[in-house]
Amino acid sequence: MSAGRILVVDDEPQIRRVLRTALSAQGYEVSDARSGEEAVKKLGDEKFDLILLDVNLPGMSGLEACRAIRHETLGPEIPIIMLTVRNAEKDIVEALDAGADDYVVKPFSTPELLARIRAALRRAPLPQDSAPQKISLKDVEVDFVSRQVTVRGRKGRLTPKEFDLLRYLVIHPNKVIAHRELLQAIWGPDYGDEVEYLRVFVNQLRRKIEPQPAKPQYLLTEPWVGYRFRLPDRE
Amino acid sequence: MFSVERRVPRVAVRSLAVLGLISAVTLLCLRLTPVNATTAGFVYLIAVLLIAAAWGIVEATAASIVATLCFNYFFLPPVRTLTIADPENWIALFALLATSIIASQLSARAKQRTHLALDRQLEMERLYALSRAILLTEANRAAPKRIAHHIAQIFDFPAVALYDRDTGDVYHGGPEDLGAVDEKLKQVALQGTLLQEESARTVVTAVRLGGEPIGSLAVRGSSLSDTALQAIANLVAIGLEKMRGQEAASRAEAARHSEELKSTLLDAIAHEFKTPLTSIKAATSALLSTAVPKPEEQRELVTIVDEEADRLGRLVTEVTQMARIEAGKIQLQRKPHAVTDLVSAALQQVRPITNGRQITVEEAENLPLVNVDAALIQLAIRQLLDNAFKYSAPGTPLSVVARSSKSSLIIAVRDRGPGIPERDLARIFERFYRGPGAERKAIGAGMGLAITREILRAHGGDVSVKSQPGEGSEFTLSLPFSRPAENA
Repeated sequence: MSAGRILVVDDEPQIRRVLRTALSAQGYEVSDARSGEEAVKKLGDEKFDLILLDVNLPGMSGLEACRAIRHETLGPEIPIIMLTVRNAEKDIVEALDAGADDYVVKPFSTPELLARIRAALRRAPLPQDSAPQKISLKDVEVDFVSRQVTVRGRKGRLTPKEFDLLRYLVIHPNKVIAHRELLQAIWGPDYGDEVEYLRVFVNQLRRKIEPQPAKPQYLLTEPWVGYRFRLPDRE
Repeated sequence: MFSVERRVPRVAVRSLAVLGLISAVTLLCLRLTPVNATTAGFVYLIAVLLIAAAWGIVEATAASIVATLCFNYFFLPPVRTLTIADPENWIALFALLATSIIASQLSARAKQRTHLALDRQLEMERLYALSRAILLTEANRAAPKRIAHHIAQIFDFPAVALYDRDTGDVYHGGPEDLGAVDEKLKQVALQGTLLQEESARTVVTAVRLGGEPIGSLAVRGSSLSDTALQAIANLVAIGLEKMRGQEAASRAEAARHSEELKSTLLDAIAHEFKTPLTSIKAATSALLSTAVPKPEEQRELVTIVDEEADRLGRLVTEVTQMARIEAGKIQLQRKPHAVTDLVSAALQQVRPITNGRQITVEEAENLPLVNVDAALIQLAIRQLLDNAFKYSAPGTPLSVVARSSKSSLIIAVRDRGPGIPERDLARIFERFYRGPGAERKAIGAGMGLAITREILRAHGGDVSVKSQPGEGSEFTLSLPFSRPAENA
């Protein structure tokens, strides 16, 4: 049985060859694309569980492809891991901002990439009974079953990591959650220091659910510590 | 400018003319229309005034004396003597002398003022011309030389020397030689004084900016007022300062540019190396873990590592060759090679990045051998192929054509990319030039075409490009067939 269908997008044929071999050996079904355009086209035709996307592509760049995948409803929920040679924080933030869930710097080791893939594919485990089906705030409604967000009547969708992050914060309302706890709960046990991930994802969530993203009412930052979801009626 | 040598004969000529004119007046009054003494006196006065107006005070004074003598001799009784009997006539005689001298002086003074005014006007016009010339002078290293030349030309000086204290250089202008003036220029620039040498008719003045002497200016044959000379010195100061400002700006620009180039180059090289390294690292780390258990999969990974190691090796060679070419040390190892071998070796080397692109190769039959450095020519062909991959859409066809012209071998690489806008065509062979949008789309330092050109030129050939926007580009390498002497 397939462990999942992965689309590898890289213009470098040798890297596609290595990834195809290593991922197939792990039981994944691998398909590949040489450019962002080809990836977008494939996503229109087939279903994938995860995308490995090179940032540096000829023509449509990896970041453009990522935005296209997120916005054109090709795969708002498919986990995307970006591959790139640059690892400045600016580049990481840019990739996450474009809608990626994670980021791997080339050259990478295959076991590390496999761990990232497993982390991206796994959903944050949650105690089912305490998981709320939906939360209704003033102007904002989040449906955890359909992953739909409604802000003043306008519908939006959350990416998998945004969704997991919000749900984790919502089931621990009015409590400060430390960066490390959040990272490990959402991305997996190998994570803990990637504070910039949280910054980007919290900002994206604020843009989606806060009436005034610059002056958040619900998703509050606790400087140097972590984040807190403010649920007014339970305070 | 009056010169003493020219003045002597002119005075003689004019003296003769004065004598002639007074004689003519005398003759007129005596013979043609005999008049009384009073009328004759007035006619002499008119003659003196005319001379004063036309020439000047010296001539007019001489004319006054001659006229008084003639008046006395010919008209005042007793005539034909220089004696005067009647005291009244003494008064008439002195009245004529005094009136003519005063009138000539007044007239001469007026003339002098006019002259002065004209001189000042000329000075102003020349200063204006000089300021324009200095402003229009391109502010580069040659500027002081050109400024010295402008000063000599505009002010009609036979010799001008300009000393720039900053560089210690002396720049000369004008047709004559100032002789040993350098020491004086340096001295004046140091002390900020004015030095006048009557013997050499040379003036040396300091060139100041904000009170501080920044150089000095020596001028021969100047009849300029001090104010005008100072104005020239000020204009020179502005010119020198403008040049310095420009130099500082271009130095800063060059430094910035060079830094940018270095970092672009490093980025590009880092990227070029990281690509095969990524494949190698991914493959070896997979082999070392338990991720890839099957032997055939392991073999596939080892094959990739092997190929990518070769690629790294080629990259290292390429980068060292690049560095050598950059440093101007290109050593050709020429041997006779078949064109088809060169082209297929280059194609073989780019195979890992062709991404299955269709590349057609057309080679004319019976192409002669060429005497070239195979590694370098393969590198040149590879650069063109690389370029074609980078700048044309995946899936569009590429072609390589080899043929011969009368004197050279032609290898052309064609793509069906977007083509190159005309304004860029001239620049693409420049080092570090990259096509529009290349910073994101194409990877590389922008050195490929510059290197290709260097390689071809080292072989006595060249590279050229033809492009039609929207239809693709064609890069052509031309290699001259080796002459018998080189084959030996």
